[in-house]
Amino acid sequence: MTALWITNVRLEKGFIYENEQITGTSTEICHLKIEAGKIAEISLLAPDSNENQLDAKQKLLLPSLRDMHIHIDKTYYGGPWKACTPITNGIFTRLEEEKELLPKLLPTAQERAEKMIELYLENGHTHIRTHCNVDPVIGLKNLEATVNALKKYEDVLTYDIVAFPQHGLLRSGSVQLIRDAMKNGATLVGGVDPATVDRNIEKSLHTIFEIAAEHNKGVDIHLHDPNSLGAFTFERMADYTKEAGMAGRATISHGIALADLSGEALAEMAAILKEQEIDVTTTIPINRTTIPVPALDRYGIPVSVGHDSITDHWSPFGTGNTIQKLGTLAESFRMIDEYSLSSVLKFATGGITPLNKAGERVWPKVGDDATMMLVDATCSAEAIARRAPVESLFFKGNKVESKRTELNIINS
Amino acid sequence: MPKSHWLTNIKLETGYLKDEKGVYTTKTELFHLKIEDGKVIEKQSSGYEISKNENTVDGRGFLALPSFKEMHNHLDKTYLSLDWKACRPVKNLEERLRYEAMELEELAPTARQRASKMIELLLSKGSTHIRTHVNIDPYIGLKNLEGVREALEDYSDKLTFEIVAFPQHGLLREHVIPLMKEAMRSGASIVGGLDPAGIDRNIEKSLYEVMNLSTEFDADIDIHLHDGGHVGLYTIDKFAEMIEEAKWHNRAAVSHAFCLGEVPVPQAEEMAERLNELGMSVMSTIPITKSLPPIELLDRKGVNIYLGCDGFYDSWGPFGTGDLLEKVTRYGELYRKSDEISLAQSLKWATGGPVPLNKDGEMSWPLEGEEANLVLVDASCSAEAVARTPKREAVIFRGKVVAGQLT
Repeated sequence: MTALWITNVRLEKGFIYENEQITGTSTEICHLKIEAGKIAEISLLAPDSNENQLDAKQKLLLPSLRDMHIHIDKTYYGGPWKACTPITNGIFTRLEEEKELLPKLLPTAQERAEKMIELYLENGHTHIRTHCNVDPVIGLKNLEATVNALKKYEDVLTYDIVAFPQHGLLRSGSVQLIRDAMKNGATLVGGVDPATVDRNIEKSLHTIFEIAAEHNKGVDIHLHDPNSLGAFTFERMADYTKEAGMAGRATISHGIALADLSGEALAEMAAILKEQEIDVTTTIPINRTTIPVPALDRYGIPVSVGHDSITDHWSPFGTGNTIQKLGTLAESFRMIDEYSLSSVLKFATGGITPLNKAGERVWPKVGDDATMMLVDATCSAEAIARRAPVESLFFKGNKVESKRTELNIINS
Repeated sequence: MPKSHWLTNIKLETGYLKDEKGVYTTKTELFHLKIEDGKVIEKQSSGYEISKNENTVDGRGFLALPSFKEMHNHLDKTYLSLDWKACRPVKNLEERLRYEAMELEELAPTARQRASKMIELLLSKGSTHIRTHVNIDPYIGLKNLEGVREALEDYSDKLTFEIVAFPQHGLLREHVIPLMKEAMRSGASIVGGLDPAGIDRNIEKSLYEVMNLSTEFDADIDIHLHDGGHVGLYTIDKFAEMIEEAKWHNRAAVSHAFCLGEVPVPQAEEMAERLNELGMSVMSTIPITKSLPPIELLDRKGVNIYLGCDGFYDSWGPFGTGDLLEKVTRYGELYRKSDEISLAQSLKWATGGPVPLNKDGEMSWPLEGEEANLVLVDASCSAEAVARTPKREAVIFRGKVVAGQLT
């Protein structure tokens, strides 16, 4: 494979200080040699004109993005507009709806999932963690559609599929289905509110971890239960993680109760989670208190953002634009100065930012995967605050292009 | 543009449909609108044959929405058109104000250029009316007012505007009242004010001077009120009392009004009734870091609510898009408006009132005789537009395409 030079790439170089305060970010124009999917050289000198080249036109290079919580198997995205129906019985309104809706959506499930993946690519993502309904209504059919859709994109992104018992692991008797899902393409065991949905915290958690151990996979559990109930569930989840020897392989999604903790109680909870290296995903909701992302980050809990929905029967809102989501995160926590803004990027890159706290370039380095994006901004902080458009995306050295061009034309 | 023309093939909402389960969808049909002297003078269904010698502009089947009103901005403060700059970390409001003061002179020479960029942005997102506040303070005097006024005048064939003389650094400081008077003679049309308690430290005198200025210049009023809780509520109460005394009905607005979301509901309701009696308005920027004034409660009581983007890309805030429709999307998300009619009716916050269908599903826009101010989007209905924030394909002001394109 011949090497490719991506020329005129803007890389962050360091912070600019005024009176010991960070007031800006300095950048430099570099040229990157890409070989075998990796960054082989970073040079200030332009390559020979006979080399294979791609001009980045001084756009800013950033690590590509990860959506760590989405449901690509049940979306209206790509189909006709549909609002939500008014809620009459909380979450159970939506579960009831799924009995009719899921079979109706099934024939177009894979197509919609693919359109959603395309939306993610347009917005600079190279990793998607999707939850996928596994329930008595739809069985493993949504999983099949999800696996088929993602397989088509294996050359441009990585992914995880969480076997998600949306209607309750115990409540809907989905234990065997989840086991089957783990043999059919799911890579993580899911769960939802062991208390409110399953009505048996211990049995629910026990079963989730048992299935995970059987298949040597991690877990990612939806936990919306608030306050002390949510906190108790986190603690038990940490206990089970420890017992199963699964440190670093368990994720709390939503973790709404974390928003109800503060001060000592939050510090104690963070210590419990940190010990088991449990990470957290959040959608940065604006209609309820958002979990304290910056505090969790300071305590060393990895936090990742996800869109959850782009438009479905749960919510008509959603954009798939993670840079926008990071902007909302920054706005929510009043992170308005250069350093804070630039640091927010890590919540969508698995922790990577071009500069470390001391302002030294830690990304990209020679030897790193050439998985990255070019955005129209002069620095990370500007990209986040002003919602920079993603100009191009690279996965392991290859420029990512849409696979659906023809189909999209036919559909429109 | 010829004197009259037809805007053809635009999608208008014609009613709500209810299915057997009580779920609503929106009906639409294609129409042709005849526009003359900037007004809609005739509305015909798409089957109507337009005579060959009339001029036409093809609306390409896009959905038409009433254009938007940006009711709270600070055109003088934005960094737009200059290099990127984040906000300085500061300890408190005092330091933020000091930092702004330091920067004002540096920014003054580019006021017209920066304001123009903001106007372009707002226009491209569908606003054809802008109410901007402009600093009138001891540091900058009238310099920013001049630049902003010139910029707005440059666009006077594309939008309407109002300028509020805004005493950002306090009204009761030395020299400010004479400056405010000068501003009112130099292009400002509305008297502004700011936190009579928090900034001016004299609620009654601050409001009294605002009233004085407004009666002297026969001008409307729009005061910034960030003061929270009961001190904010008392300020609005006192303001209302003065409005009543001066018989300044339908001429006063309170911007931000976080306090209304911070007091017990019965008190907020009582105040809402009072605001309604006096025809006072509330302007909100739909913040996610402050308490929101209770928009639904105020609306139920008949108070006029308008939205704005506030100043952005400036020393106060690095976030923003200039998109009123996105503000409504955010409103919908905040208040969990997710069904067809709730989403569709929320559009009124962006338009300052008009919506294509009223709550009963009757066509209430566009009507013959109204100004032809429209935003065209690729969406199936208003509800979709509110939820999905589609791109603005074209913005039409008084019959003329002023942003985007239709060809």
